[in-house]
Amino acid sequence: MSATVLHTEVGVSDEKQTAAKSAGRRFGALVVRLGAIAAFAAIMAYFVIFAPGFTSTFNLINVVEQSAILGVLAYGMTAVIIGGGSDVTEGGIDLSIAANMGLCAAVYATLLSMGYGDFLSVLAAIAVGMAVGALNALAVVGLGILPLLATLAVLNVAAGMELTLTQNTVVGASSPLLGVLVSGSFLGVSALAWALIVFSAIMIVLVHGTSFGLRLYAVGGHPEAARAAGISVPFYVSFTYVLSGLCAAVAAILTVSRLSASTPGSGELLLSVLAAALLGTVFSRRFVPTMGGTLLSVLFIGLLANGFQLLNVSSYWVNGVQGALILLVVAITSFARGSEGSR
Amino acid sequence: MTRSMKGLVKALAFGLAAACSVAAVSGASAEELSLKGKRIGVSAIGTDHYWDLMAFRGIQDRVKELGGEVIALDAGRKDQQQIAQLQTLIAQKPDAIIEQLGNLEVLNPWLQKIRDAGIPLFTVDTATPHAINNTTSNNYNIGAEIALQMVADMGGKGNVLVFNGFYSVPVCKIRYDQLKYVLTSFPDVKIIEPELRDVIPNTVQSAYSNVTDMLTKSPEKGSIGAVWACWDVPQIGATQAVEAAGRNEVKTYGIDGSPEVIKMVMDPKSSAGAVAAQQPYEIGKTSVDNAAEYLAGQKVPPFTFVPSVLINKENAAEKGKPFLDAAEKAGVQ
Repeated sequence: MSATVLHTEVGVSDEKQTAAKSAGRRFGALVVRLGAIAAFAAIMAYFVIFAPGFTSTFNLINVVEQSAILGVLAYGMTAVIIGGGSDVTEGGIDLSIAANMGLCAAVYATLLSMGYGDFLSVLAAIAVGMAVGALNALAVVGLGILPLLATLAVLNVAAGMELTLTQNTVVGASSPLLGVLVSGSFLGVSALAWALIVFSAIMIVLVHGTSFGLRLYAVGGHPEAARAAGISVPFYVSFTYVLSGLCAAVAAILTVSRLSASTPGSGELLLSVLAAALLGTVFSRRFVPTMGGTLLSVLFIGLLANGFQLLNVSSYWVNGVQGALILLVVAITSFARGSEGSR
Repeated sequence: MTRSMKGLVKALAFGLAAACSVAAVSGASAEELSLKGKRIGVSAIGTDHYWDLMAFRGIQDRVKELGGEVIALDAGRKDQQQIAQLQTLIAQKPDAIIEQLGNLEVLNPWLQKIRDAGIPLFTVDTATPHAINNTTSNNYNIGAEIALQMVADMGGKGNVLVFNGFYSVPVCKIRYDQLKYVLTSFPDVKIIEPELRDVIPNTVQSAYSNVTDMLTKSPEKGSIGAVWACWDVPQIGATQAVEAAGRNEVKTYGIDGSPEVIKMVMDPKSSAGAVAAQQPYEIGKTSVDNAAEYLAGQKVPPFTFVPSVLINKENAAEKGKPFLDAAEKAGVQ
């Protein structure tokens, strides 16, 4: 509290200095951003030259396939961050998304193993995913709880429900839909890779090609201005959480197909999902999350693990590099935020 | 009755151990093995447990010893990651793949793909029809031995708390099924329902709180006679919980032989009743020998058993020491 007061006082007392500082910061942010992109490019170039088999079509399709689940989840997270604003502490964030996926996968696999068909099981998984999203929306929009805390609580609810349902065991599943997802392919590209391509196209068009998407950015960037322009801020913010729940359900079905089962431990994906959504901001000039940026960073994370394995570098390095890049991006966003003044 | 039972168990154990060691010796006495110019892919679900780490190391050390190149992949206990690693590994076309533990239901379709790609597959502690050879301990024997030890210590009657969270892991399935089979002969020993679920991570903490809760629920002494788990990390939490609750009549049983647990069994005051100690490092090495033999055109049996030892309160001082020495040599506490 006292820190905020102090900050405001400083801001009022010497505005000129702040302006000069903000220009400097903007420049600094640009340098760091270009540096990050250069680092991405350098790593990729290194893989292309030195990692055997890295550029083969087969390998690249493998990576797209491996990125599908993370990608779908990261889109959900990105939508929430766009709608809620990208302030790391107060802005939009959905910490429950990975746990929600675990719950949806458990529901889907359990219903399949009980003999219900694909239609009903898919429907139930989607309903559960969206219901968890709606619970987030209720907590954030309805009750006004900080998204960080609200979704953290919902994370625990979802994880607890998954444990209750599966007793922390592996629930095997097979169905015609899963069969298609596992072994289907079209034009030499596997079904799982297609799932990511199609889902990406839908999300990019929805967020970057429609007036709906434009309003979503307005709501996240300047809620007051959006409200003044007659946009229903609560509706848009709620929508992002429900959309995030839907993404969790879609990712759940893809997971069950890939693992032939619902397994415990889905929550572990959260860090990668956050990393993908945060890293994606580097690809935008204003450091805002975009669907395209998220797609690039998801593929980057996938290529990183793949390239290291092909080079026979320990997989433990992947986490380290990922962590270093997140640090870099958070540094950039705080640079950028500094340039916007006190907020 | 109890004493003769124990004697029988001991005789059986010695007999089997002797038979196993003979088999192991004859397997290793093949001519000079070499993996020169060969690339061996190794995929492990995780290495956070003593057993997993030692087996993983044993595989890598042996491949290097034989002059081969190793592609070592640790999935960090994440199924998604292990599948991605296996998928990329198949594309890398190594001369052989050694797969170590994991959920069989998740793995099987991918192990099938390894075979479809024409890559010889060997497994460690993972019984699957897709592997050319599975190197492991004799888990049928281990499961029966530890169950019989438990029944003997309980005097043939009482209630058992059972952790059964990993029935989808093949070795746990075998050990659990053997426990159930042994108990068919001892109807006075009953498994308390519902069974407990061991988890990863936070295995010790979770086992501690589960067992504490159950002890609180059944406060009268003698209402619970033993705690059983298919590996020994839950046993650590269970033993601590029993001791903290002052319920020393409850004994704990597990499998693997982590140094920490062997020390508990060696401590006469500890509630750890027994542990079946395996030789994970040897198991890892032996699986590589099998792969090398196969690549040299020799015939390889579908499974190889590396001897294990039942360490109980009576023999702990003598039998436990070699295992602790091996752990110390490897630098693992």
